[in-house]
Amino acid sequence: MSEEHKVSDELRSAFVDGQLDAAEWARVAQFMEGDPALREDVGELRMLKDMVRHAYAVPPARASHIRRSAAAGWKSLAVAAVVFAAAGWFGHAWWRAGPALDPASAYALRGDWHALRGDWRSLDGNHVLVHVSSGSREALTMALDEVEDLLRSAHAARRSVEVEIVANSLGLDLLRADASAYAARIAALRREFPELSLVACGQTLERRRAGGGQVTLLPGTVVAPSALDQIVKRLRGGWIYVRA
Amino acid sequence: MRISTIFGRRAAVRRELEASRELLYRMAYAWCHDAALAEDLAHEAAEKALRRAGQLRDAEKLRAWLLRILANCVRDHARLRREHVELGVVEDIVAADGPTPEEAQASAQLALRVRRAVGELPLGQRQAVTLVDLEGCSYAEVGEILEIPIGTVMSRVCRARQALRERLASFASEALGARLRSVK
Repeated sequence: MSEEHKVSDELRSAFVDGQLDAAEWARVAQFMEGDPALREDVGELRMLKDMVRHAYAVPPARASHIRRSAAAGWKSLAVAAVVFAAAGWFGHAWWRAGPALDPASAYALRGDWHALRGDWRSLDGNHVLVHVSSGSREALTMALDEVEDLLRSAHAARRSVEVEIVANSLGLDLLRADASAYAARIAALRREFPELSLVACGQTLERRRAGGGQVTLLPGTVVAPSALDQIVKRLRGGWIYVRA
Repeated sequence: MRISTIFGRRAAVRRELEASRELLYRMAYAWCHDAALAEDLAHEAAEKALRRAGQLRDAEKLRAWLLRILANCVRDHARLRREHVELGVVEDIVAADGPTPEEAQASAQLALRVRRAVGELPLGQRQAVTLVDLEGCSYAEVGEILEIPIGTVMSRVCRARQALRERLASFASEALGARLRSVK
């Protein structure tokens, strides 16, 4: 069976909608690691979802030619509502009922920088996990830019925040002391922001070392059993997840 | 109860109703694509909700409860008219109030095109995917609202996305490209 068919279309959609439990999510995430086509497909589904949301963000103005006077109708409803207010159900958390998962992980499952920037103000969580698994220079630079921006804006807003970069696969290069493109920048960031921590995937390390590669990590980098372990652990702890 | 409390509560209720009005109208519009009908359906649903307020046991589930009433109104409407709410034309272009005319236009065109594609979906799929995408409903919530099993929700959302993807494939890249260019 090809990689592609291990994750059904329904599962892909549910993944994008943040409707998988931690185990299913981890399974899909694992397939995504090694399957660029699957990653692209999931990206397209995300885009489609955004397009639908965008299409109805501003529905057409209510018709002025409606059969009855809607404005008056709503006014009378407001008056009628006062009667029911005494019953107590209005005062409750009206529109706050979120998705079935707890809000942080439901958010996390569709997390990308764009979503995070949009939702940052309204998010309660102060713990952000940044998952880096791509080795492209662009992706790594962008991840660092975004992390720096996030830390700076949190400081400016006097919002305490903890950011953890979890790197695996090709993304591990970000945390290598011997692949020095980013070492100086990360060291400077860490000096300025002690709330930034670094975690390397133990499995990726093992694979590289087994392949004969010498890997030296940046000082202070913690090695987790695997990136997925770490991510699932953090998600359960209510961390916000962002895929760099 | 002090009179100021009563007035405070009245104001709060008014605000809540405004919020529900937007929600119900937006969703009704997404389902029927007719502004006047959507307004009527939203209004009818709110009226029913108020009459049945006593039935709501769990305030946390208010949104699902309200939307289920709306879904029932849509179903009743379709039955009375002896037709499916398989509406036809998507009206109007969104008012051009974006930062630049080009961007507003591209964005409005994209919105229109997506709405058309959504309008071509069978009602069940249209309802499921808009509940998930517009309101961020969980599959469990959608199941409650439409009174269908969660597996059905999953397959409806999935089939809706496949159909939308097919219909929007050519347009998406082109329109998004244009939009990005115009934003610069």
